[in-house]
Amino acid sequence: MRLSRAWPAALLLVLVASPFFSFNPFYQRVAALVALAAISASAWNVIGGYAGQVSFGHSVYFGVGAYAALLVFTKLGLPPIAGAPLGILASLAISVIAGLPTFRLHGHYFSMATFAIAALAELLIINWNFAGGAIGMMGPATARSPADLLFRSALPYYAIFLAVLAVLLWLTHRMQRSRMGFYLRAIGAGERAAQSLGVPIRRYKLYALLLSGAFTALAGSLYAVMIGFIDPDSGFGVLISVNMVVMAALGGAGTLFGPLVGAVILVPLSEASNAILGGGSSGAAYVAYGVIIMLIARFCPGGLAEWWRVLTRTRRRRAA
Amino acid sequence: MLLEARGIVKAFGAFHAVAGADLLLEESELIGLIGPNGAGKSTFFNCLSGDARPTAGTIRFRGTEVTALPPAAHARLGLARTFQVPIVFDTMTVRENVMVGAFLRHPHRRAAAAKADEVLAFTGLAEQANLPATALGTPGRKRLEIARALATEPVLLLLDEALAGLPSAEVEAAIDLVRRIHESGVTLIVVEHIMEVIHRLTRRVLVFHQGRVIAEGTPAEVTADPAVITAYLGRRAHK
Repeated sequence: MRLSRAWPAALLLVLVASPFFSFNPFYQRVAALVALAAISASAWNVIGGYAGQVSFGHSVYFGVGAYAALLVFTKLGLPPIAGAPLGILASLAISVIAGLPTFRLHGHYFSMATFAIAALAELLIINWNFAGGAIGMMGPATARSPADLLFRSALPYYAIFLAVLAVLLWLTHRMQRSRMGFYLRAIGAGERAAQSLGVPIRRYKLYALLLSGAFTALAGSLYAVMIGFIDPDSGFGVLISVNMVVMAALGGAGTLFGPLVGAVILVPLSEASNAILGGGSSGAAYVAYGVIIMLIARFCPGGLAEWWRVLTRTRRRRAA
Repeated sequence: MLLEARGIVKAFGAFHAVAGADLLLEESELIGLIGPNGAGKSTFFNCLSGDARPTAGTIRFRGTEVTALPPAAHARLGLARTFQVPIVFDTMTVRENVMVGAFLRHPHRRAAAAKADEVLAFTGLAEQANLPATALGTPGRKRLEIARALATEPVLLLLDEALAGLPSAEVEAAIDLVRRIHESGVTLIVVEHIMEVIHRLTRRVLVFHQGRVIAEGTPAEVTADPAVITAYLGRRAHK
């Protein structure tokens, strides 16, 4: 049993440290994108995995964070990262406004409602000329000060993203062991029973959404800081939400490291396919996600985490 | 008076599932609620626990009007329930299921775990504590629901057919469990189909038929009541 726990931990450590010892810029860039995707997928996991409220609208949080970063730059001349707190504040407001009515809905209806909200948000942004309309906005071209966080190497971004991810996973770990974690899982497993045991369902769903949305918005800001460009599709596109859902589901929704595992597998795949098939291959990504969703749903609804549990359990049984 | 339900009506469109039912319950009583299928027992139960909001009538529990309060508020006031078809948290272990209930009065993990273990021992589930809840069969699931409800430290426990569908050996164990819960000071309302169980458990029974209480008394009294016999078996064909 100790071995089955030590192995993945050691592997993870090597993976996490490897970009610092690699001089391959492509590898470093992919590592940074993995860490970033892991932040948003882990943030989604709080409400979508633990509480079982499958949101297809988290692109709204991501977009709000990304736009906040580049808005404070283009309109106020501030470093983009200064937009992150504003993005987080906006995400909290969105959680309250969008969450309270949609929490009345269950299962697929909740998912559809969040999907509709995200589609609406993208339309609004396309028509919001103040924020660049359909064209989008650019970040600073050259670093005016270190606060612009403009680096030629992807390594500093990787380090920043990793630190944020560590904080988020630590918070999630704390939550998982606390009353809130139990209550969220109870809500995900059976709302009616949870309620009968005194769980104030809507309040805890809101707590989860506030936490989840805030970190997704932060991921959006960090994305804008690194990439230096945002438009309605890269901020509010459907694929942004789908990415989070698929990564969490693949690795194991409702588990601490599941979304990270999903990101480690999927981001390199999509980056490699982009490199091979050219930039216009987002169509291929849709096809691949469709296939992955079907495979998970058919063979492994609990994601790789479940598969891993079964594997280690049978091995243990055999050893005994 | 622990629980006071007066003039409870629950209508679904033109159909009155509960059509003016009263229930007065003293602390530390154990009463039975019986009636043929579709008599409105479960709907009445749902009104008492806050799962359904009565169309008319008032419910007071421990002096507080709870008629329109959500189930979570009932739980906080000390009213717990089980469901006819058990809803256990499939993604959790047996102990974790019970801890969800225990967290209501014990916000800290360690205290909640200790409370859960105490309840698991009391309900005879200690050995299965670390199994996933999915490993339990129907008797185990019903028992787990009772354990989870007990972990909220209720004053009043509503059992909705907690014994129905159990194999006879399990029925004996379940009757024993219900008795021990009662002896520990919890007031109980037991909805049950099996007359024998009611006979052995309670001294006061309410008979539901077509949304109304048609008889009340000891099990022997109500089973001799012509109205009750008619409700269960129908009227004789000859005069």
